[in-house]
Amino acid sequence: MLHRIVAIVRREYLERIRTRAFWVSTLLVPLFMGAMMVIPAWLAERGGGEFTVAVLDLSGRFAGPVKAEVEKRLASSDEKLSVHLAIVDPGADPEATREALKGRVQKGEFDGLLVLPAGLPDQGEPEYLAPNVAAFKLLMILERSVNDALVADRLTRAGLDPEKVSELTRRVDLKTFKLGKKGEETRDEGQGFLLSYGFMLIIYMSVLMYGIYVMRGVLEEKTNRIVEVVIATVKPFELMLGKILGIGAVGLTQFSLWGIALAAITAPGAMAALGFAGVELPSLPPLLLVFFVVFFVLGFLLYGTLYAGIGAAFDTEQEAQNFQTLVTLMLVVPLVLMVQILNQPDGTLSVVLSLVPFFAPMLMFLRMTLTPVPAWQLAAAVAGLLAAIVACAWVVGKIYRVGILMHGSKPTFKDMVRWVREA
Amino acid sequence: MESILELRDLSKRYGDHVAVEGLSFAVPRGSIFGLLGPNGAGKTTTIRMVMRIILPDRGEVLLDGSPVDDDRRRLIGYLPEERGLYRKMKVLDHLVFLGTVRGVPPREARRRSAAWLEKFGLGEWADHKVEDLSKGMQQKVQFIGTILHRPQLLILDEPFSGLDPINTRELKDLMLAMREEGVTIVLSTHVLPQVDELCDHICLINRARPILAGNLEEIRERFGGRTWEVDGDFGREALARLPQVEAVHGLRDRYLLDLRPEAAPRDVLTALLELGEVTHFARFVPDLENIFIRAVEEDQSHAA
Repeated sequence: MLHRIVAIVRREYLERIRTRAFWVSTLLVPLFMGAMMVIPAWLAERGGGEFTVAVLDLSGRFAGPVKAEVEKRLASSDEKLSVHLAIVDPGADPEATREALKGRVQKGEFDGLLVLPAGLPDQGEPEYLAPNVAAFKLLMILERSVNDALVADRLTRAGLDPEKVSELTRRVDLKTFKLGKKGEETRDEGQGFLLSYGFMLIIYMSVLMYGIYVMRGVLEEKTNRIVEVVIATVKPFELMLGKILGIGAVGLTQFSLWGIALAAITAPGAMAALGFAGVELPSLPPLLLVFFVVFFVLGFLLYGTLYAGIGAAFDTEQEAQNFQTLVTLMLVVPLVLMVQILNQPDGTLSVVLSLVPFFAPMLMFLRMTLTPVPAWQLAAAVAGLLAAIVACAWVVGKIYRVGILMHGSKPTFKDMVRWVREA
Repeated sequence: MESILELRDLSKRYGDHVAVEGLSFAVPRGSIFGLLGPNGAGKTTTIRMVMRIILPDRGEVLLDGSPVDDDRRRLIGYLPEERGLYRKMKVLDHLVFLGTVRGVPPREARRRSAAWLEKFGLGEWADHKVEDLSKGMQQKVQFIGTILHRPQLLILDEPFSGLDPINTRELKDLMLAMREEGVTIVLSTHVLPQVDELCDHICLINRARPILAGNLEEIRERFGGRTWEVDGDFGREALARLPQVEAVHGLRDRYLLDLRPEAAPRDVLTALLELGEVTHFARFVPDLENIFIRAVEEDQSHAA
């Protein structure tokens, strides 16, 4: 019996590993993820440039303070950014001057035009006109400098010392530490969570993608009419099992390749060698990696079985649509419930939700990244998943056995219940 | 004669629909056995029960005298009517897969597959994908897959469907050659001329029940022994009125007369000559089609 299942697993595995789609997705996903992690850091590292901004000061008294603020900011930051403010005399007809300056901005003589209205600081709003209003760094510096200059003016008029006020209202930042089980404190400003969140998304996408592969595989065997040839020597359940295991093995192979790639780029010196010196990649504790694999495998077995049943019951993917959506929805629910888990990873509702077998692969994993989950809960989640897998395999096995030989009219839910009873 | 496969009182119902009812027959070892019947008679259901793809409500199937179970069914080479291949697989890989699920070790499966592909003139297609093959070539690949594990019993469900005359001839020759080697073949079909040529024994199923079974020669004798083929200058009514004639059937442009057991053919001819000119008078050798149609008609009229 075993060598027959092995033959099925082998075929599923080799035929899929040999496809171009497998290698393309294996290469593209880490490239994409890598780009998502590295590019922002890299941009932050490099973001600089030279800008010349024309200042049209209709109030006649804020151009100076704004310029001073800008210079102060540039001096105190280590950004490779230089901003030159060219203060322009409004002349007799400010409207005409404004129009003239707009023209010069369009010609590229200036990168932008800052207009400080006459009524400042009580009336009117400063304006910034530029062809590119997405130069965030520049905008931020201009906005804050104008803001500081105006606030300082208001404070002085109210009889307060701007220096004093700024010192007294200094921002306070919370330093966050992740407290481990043994009381260790790890500095964490969200990178750890982001990575776990990414991994949870990978579980979601992989279970969905490989689950649908199972469904398509079963449909293919049915429409190709090869299934009867195979089940004349292999039991339907063995065929179903072989298919699910084979496709699951493809998934694990993909993860292993990604793992190797990840290990390579996180190796000391690797990032520097690639030209990303100074970019720090967050790391994931090994225990989480183990459970990542465990939850993927269990989640895939559960959902793969359900998708196999859907594939067996219907003739085409269109006919299978309703049931497929139903199963996929169960997989999406955890994404919706995520906010609840994030706010109260240890709340009763979170604990209960993360123990539901259909949600556990994602929600329990997410909780593990947020809080020390008691061992009994992990054990309960895994046991619940195993029980659900066995139960689903039992029911789906019957639907599968009848369904794969059925062609023609689209079965209803009632039909399937009858198949399970009669098979 | 010793039988390799025996069906005893096999029955299957789906709700109110009777698919097969009380079917019994034995397939003699080394024969080509025709399982015949109109579409929907229950042939495929019967075969699926033999292969344990469907489990019977009642009755049993014996292979070499012992019940067929999930292991022993693999001794049978089965080519279903609903057959297909994985389109994206390479031909040789596909055959190796079919061999290994039937228990042939992979290396051996590869060796045998390559040899069979050569024999069928498909050697150069071994590394092509299945979808590149013509339908006839795909059928050959399916057939090779069926015999890779060297079964002593082959069950072929409508094996000629979709084959052109040349491929049909090739497959028939191969079946006859395999019989020479001692392989038993069960052939299920509703295309009768093929059976006429190949089969030694038949079982005819109609409306879920067996209506005729046995050695084909004996059946021919039984159906043809008292039947004469006539043509001439007379009508059906006149023939039916002859005292020696039990029944008249139309056969293309001629008539078939079933004579009464005591009637002498010479007297019949004399009587015919009195009716008019006789252009044809010969003992009728029924082909299977005739037997089939008459047996089904009789069965229908019994039911009515």
